[in-house]
Amino acid sequence: MDFEPTIVSFLCNWCSYTGADLAGTSRMKYSPNIRIIRVMCSGRIDPTFVLEAFKNGADGVLLCGCHPGDCHYQSGNYKCLRRYNMLKKYFVQLGIRPERIRLDWISASEGKQFANLADSFTETIRHLGPCKIKNVIETYT
Amino acid sequence: MEEIKIGVYVCWCGTNIAKMVDVDQVVDQIKFLPDVAVARNYKYMCSDPGQDMIIRDIKQHHLNRVVVAACSPRIHELTFRKALAKAGLNPMMFQMANIREQVAWVHTDREKATKKAVSLVHAAINRVKWHESLDKRTIEVNPATLVIGGGVAGMSAALEIANAGKQVYLVEKSKKLGGYAAQLDLTFPHFYSARQLIKPMIRHVEDHKNIRIFKPMQINQIFGYMGNFQSTLQLANGDETKLKFGNIIVATGLQPFDPSEITSYNYGKLPDVVTSLEFEKMLAKGRIETCEGKEPKNVAIIHCVGSRNANYHEYCSRTCCMTALKFANQIRSALPESNIFDLYADMRSFGKGCEELYTQTSRKNVIFLRFDQQNGLPEIRSTNGEEAVSMLIEFTEQFSKEQVEVPADLVILMVAMESHADAKDISHIAGISMCGNSFFIEKHPKLDPVATTSDGVFIVGTCQAPKDIPDSISQAKAAAARVLATIHVGTIEVDVITATVNEDICCGCQTCVSVCPYKAISFNKEKGVSEVNEILCKGCGTCGSTCPTGAIRSRHFTDQQILSQIQGLLSPDNKFEKM
Amino acid sequence: MSQRINPELKKELLKFGAKDWNDCYHCGNCTATCQLTEREILFPRKAIRQAQMGLTESLASNADPWLCYYCGDCSDTCPRDANPGEIMMTLRRYLTSVYDWTGFSGMLYKSAKAHIVVMLVLFLSVVAAFLIFGGPMITELTSDGGVRLNTFAPAEIIAGIDHIVLLTLSFFLLTNMINMYYKVVLKDKTVHIPWYLYFTEIGEALLNFGTQLRFSKCNKSRMYWFGHWFLMIGYVTMFVLIIFFLSWFQTDNINVWYHPQRLIGYIITAGFLFGTIFFMIGRIRKKKQIFKHSHHSDWIFVVLLFLVAFSGILIHIFRINGLPFATYYTYVAHLAFEIPMVVTFVAFSKWSHLAYRPLAIYFSNMKKKTRELQLKSKLSVSY
Repeated sequence: MDFEPTIVSFLCNWCSYTGADLAGTSRMKYSPNIRIIRVMCSGRIDPTFVLEAFKNGADGVLLCGCHPGDCHYQSGNYKCLRRYNMLKKYFVQLGIRPERIRLDWISASEGKQFANLADSFTETIRHLGPCKIKNVIETYT
Repeated sequence: MEEIKIGVYVCWCGTNIAKMVDVDQVVDQIKFLPDVAVARNYKYMCSDPGQDMIIRDIKQHHLNRVVVAACSPRIHELTFRKALAKAGLNPMMFQMANIREQVAWVHTDREKATKKAVSLVHAAINRVKWHESLDKRTIEVNPATLVIGGGVAGMSAALEIANAGKQVYLVEKSKKLGGYAAQLDLTFPHFYSARQLIKPMIRHVEDHKNIRIFKPMQINQIFGYMGNFQSTLQLANGDETKLKFGNIIVATGLQPFDPSEITSYNYGKLPDVVTSLEFEKMLAKGRIETCEGKEPKNVAIIHCVGSRNANYHEYCSRTCCMTALKFANQIRSALPESNIFDLYADMRSFGKGCEELYTQTSRKNVIFLRFDQQNGLPEIRSTNGEEAVSMLIEFTEQFSKEQVEVPADLVILMVAMESHADAKDISHIAGISMCGNSFFIEKHPKLDPVATTSDGVFIVGTCQAPKDIPDSISQAKAAAARVLATIHVGTIEVDVITATVNEDICCGCQTCVSVCPYKAISFNKEKGVSEVNEILCKGCGTCGSTCPTGAIRSRHFTDQQILSQIQGLLSPDNKFEKM
Repeated sequence: MSQRINPELKKELLKFGAKDWNDCYHCGNCTATCQLTEREILFPRKAIRQAQMGLTESLASNADPWLCYYCGDCSDTCPRDANPGEIMMTLRRYLTSVYDWTGFSGMLYKSAKAHIVVMLVLFLSVVAAFLIFGGPMITELTSDGGVRLNTFAPAEIIAGIDHIVLLTLSFFLLTNMINMYYKVVLKDKTVHIPWYLYFTEIGEALLNFGTQLRFSKCNKSRMYWFGHWFLMIGYVTMFVLIIFFLSWFQTDNINVWYHPQRLIGYIITAGFLFGTIFFMIGRIRKKKQIFKHSHHSDWIFVVLLFLVAFSGILIHIFRINGLPFATYYTYVAHLAFEIPMVVTFVAFSKWSHLAYRPLAIYFSNMKKKTRELQLKSKLSVSY
C-alpha cells in the first residue's frame, strides 16, 4: 500500500484559513492528508508547536500566513518567516529532513493556490517517506 | 476542579457533509474518548432544533464544554457561542471542527475524509478541555466617525452620518474634495454632467456643521479598537490635533492603470495615444483634438487596457465598456463626420440603461471590432507622416479572423481601475486585509461586502472593488447605516482574547515588547516585568510564541490548548473502521 | 498581410439598398437557421461582418452572397432585426457592381433616376429607329388572315440587331465573369485549385443553373421556387429563340394552335406572366421577407418583364386576328420595352445573377474541395 503521510498545517485566521475555506466553497479538490489548525496569526506559531507535531507522528508540517506586507497584525508573518528559517537549521541538527516543513503565503482569495500547495506538499512528503522521529523519541525515552 | 463533560455534535449539513463523511462512524469513534459525555449527529446543527438540542443537553447532562463539527468557524462559531450563552454556559467553552469546507467539500475518498474528520473532532475535543471562561467586555462607542478619502463614496458616507446629527472627521489627502468622479466630464448611461453632480455634494460637505474636513492631510497611525479609536493629525501650521472616534470608513478610491507598461500600445511614445482620463479632461475642455490641435478624422477606442489580462490585472474594471460607449457618443456628436472604431474584447453592458446605451451607440455608425487578449494585444504604430492618417492599429479581428489595420489619428486607451497606491499604507493603519490584487477584502464576499474583518472598520467605493458611481454611493450609505446603528446602540461587546503576563514567571527580557506591533506591551521597571495594555492588544499571539519562559498566555490560543489540539489531531486512535 | 479597414465602405453599401449595417452583433442565429450553411460557408454572418468592418478586399473575393436565394429565414430569426437577408441582397447588388469594370452597373444600382433616364433614352431610340428604318405598314393580310409583320419588321434584320446586342452584352458579361473569377479565385491565396476540379465540379453548377435545386432546400418557399424557376426557364428559352430561331418564331403565317412554335410561345409567356405577377403581388403585399424591401431595380425589372410579356401576347392576338396597325404599334412597344431591359439588366444589373450564381456555386465547390484536399494532406503529413 502507498504511504499516506500525515501533515499538520497551521493557518493564520485572516488570510490562509479563509483561503482554505475558499478552496472548500469553490469545491476544489486536494489531498486529505492535510489537517488544519487555526491560529490568529502566523506569528503565533511557536516552534514548539511544530516540534510537538513531529513528536506525535506528523510526517510534515505546513505553515501558511498572509503575503508579505499583508499581515492582519502588520508583521506577524515576518516573525513566522524568521522562526521558520531557524527551525530548518535546527531540523538538520535533529536529523529531520528540512523539506518536511514548509512555509508559504496564502491570501484569503487564493483558494486554488492553497489546494495546489496542499497537493504538492503531500507529494513531497510522500516522496520523503514516513518521518521516524516519533519512533526515535519513543525508543530513547 | 469540576469534572469535564463534553458534548460533541456532528452536523450533516444536509448532504453537504454527510455525502462525503460517514457521520455515524465519526460519532462512534469519538464517543468513547475521555470526558465525552454526549455525542450525537444531526441534520442541521445550526438550525433552531439543532441549537435547542445543544441547550437541552447542557441542561440535562450538565455539560460544561461543547464541540460542534460542522462548517467553518468563520461562519457559525458565533451562532453556537450564543446558544451556549443561552444555556448559561460561558460562550468561550466551545470549539468547532471544520469538516465541511476543509473536509467534505475538498476530498473525494469517503474513507479518508471520515478518518480526517475523526482526527479534527478529536483535536477539538482535546482543545476544548483547556478552554477557560472569558468575559466579554462592554465598550462604549464613541459617536464620532473617521472617513478616510473625500471622493464620491467618502463624501456620501460622511453626509449620511452627519445628517443624522453625528460628528464626522473627513480626511482627504489632496487639496480638493471630489476624487476621481470630479475629473469626469459626463457620466454613463444618461450623460449627466459629473461636475453638476459632484459640485453640490462638495458644497454640502464643506458647509456641514457636523463634518470637519482635514485636507490635504495624511493619516499616519490609528490606535484602539472598535468603539474607541484615536489618531493624531499633524496640521499644516505645525500643530497637532487628537481625534477620537468609534468607527472608521475607508474610501481611498482608485488610481488609473499606467498603460506605458503595455509596450504594444506605445503610450507615452506616440503623443496621440491618450488614456480615458486624459480624454475626459479633453472633453471637459470642450474640444477633441490631436496633439497638433487638429480635429481627428479617425478615432479609435481600445478596451480592457490593463484589465482582464493575466499580465496586468485579471479582474474586469467594470466601468470602461460603458465609458467607451459614452465616449463614442460624445465623439459622434462633436465630430459627426469622423470615423469611430471601438476595439473591444467583450462588451460588458450590464445593468440599468447600459445595454440600451450599447444598442443606441451601435446605431451611430461606430465600427465595433473584437480582439482577443489571449492572441496578442493590438499594436499601435506610427505611419511616420507617410500617410494622411497618423497611426495604424494592427490586430486579428475575432469575428472575421482577419488580420486588419485600423487607421487612427487619436487613440483612447480605456485604462483599468487599480486600488489607490495609498491603500497599502491604509490597510496597515486601519487593519484591513487585502486581496492579491490589492483591493481591500470585505468581511464576507456575499453576506457582508461593506464591513471588514476588523470590527468598526468599513470599506466603501472603489477601494473594495472596481465599481461605478451609483454602486459606490450605495455601499457608502450602507456603511453609514451600519455605523449609525452601532452609535445608536451606544455600546458593544468584545471578546477578550488578549495576551496576559504571568508576573511570577516573567524574567523581564522584554522580547515581547520588541515584537508587539501595537506597542501594547510595556516594561514595568519597578516590578521588572512586562505588562499588557488590554485596550491596545489585538490578540495576534506573537508575544506568546516569543516568550522564552512561557509567561505570556495568549488567551483562547494558549500553548496548552494548541499542543493538546496537535496531540488529538495525531492520536493513533483516529481510525476508520469498515462496518 | 493586414487589410486596411475602410470606413467608407458602409456608406457606399447603403446606396445599394440596405437600411442599416450597425444592428448586427454577431449572435450567429442567422447562420444557425440557414438551410444552406455548411462547414466552410458561414453565411450570411461572415459577409455581413466583412461589410460592417469595411473589408473591401475580403468582400470582393467572397462569393457567398450568391449562394443565398433569400428565403428570409435569417431575417425572421434575427433578434436585432438587422435583416441579414436584405443585407445579402444588397451585397449581391454591390458585388455585381464590383465585377463590372465599366462602372455602369454601380450607376444604375445607386440611382433610380439614372436607370430610368437610360431606359427612356433606349426606349426612344428604339421608337426612333422604327420611325426611320421601319418597313412599310401594309394593311394587306396573309391568306389565312394574319398581319404581314415581317414586311414591317423582317425577322432577319431584327435577328441581326439582336445578334449585335447579344455580342456586345456577352462581351461585357463575359469580361465581368472573368473579373469575378479573378477576384474570387485567383486573388484568394489560401487555396490553389487543382486543374481537374475545374472539370469535376462543373456538373453541379450546371445542374443548379437548370433546376435551382439548392433553392428548393430553402424551406417554406416551394411556390416561390416554382415562380422563380418558371420565370427563369421562360426567359432562357425566349433568349435562345429570339437570338437563334427568330425567323422560325416570328412568322406571318398562322400555325395550328398545337404547333410547337405557338406552344413554346405560350409556355414562355405563361412563365413570364406567372412569375412577374407573382413577384409584383408579393412586392405590393410585403408579407414575405423577400418582398419586404424593394429596390428600384427590382421594380423596374418586374414591371418591364411584365410589359414585355404582355405586349408579346398582344402582338400575337392582334396578328392572328388581322389587326395590322395594332400589331405594328405593339411590336414597336414590345421591342422598346425589351431592348432597355436586356441592355441594362443582362450584364449590368439583376439578370446577371443568372451567370454569377452558378459561377459562385462552381467556385465555392471547387474551393471547398481544395480545402478538404489540403486538410487531408496536412493530416497525412502529421502521421
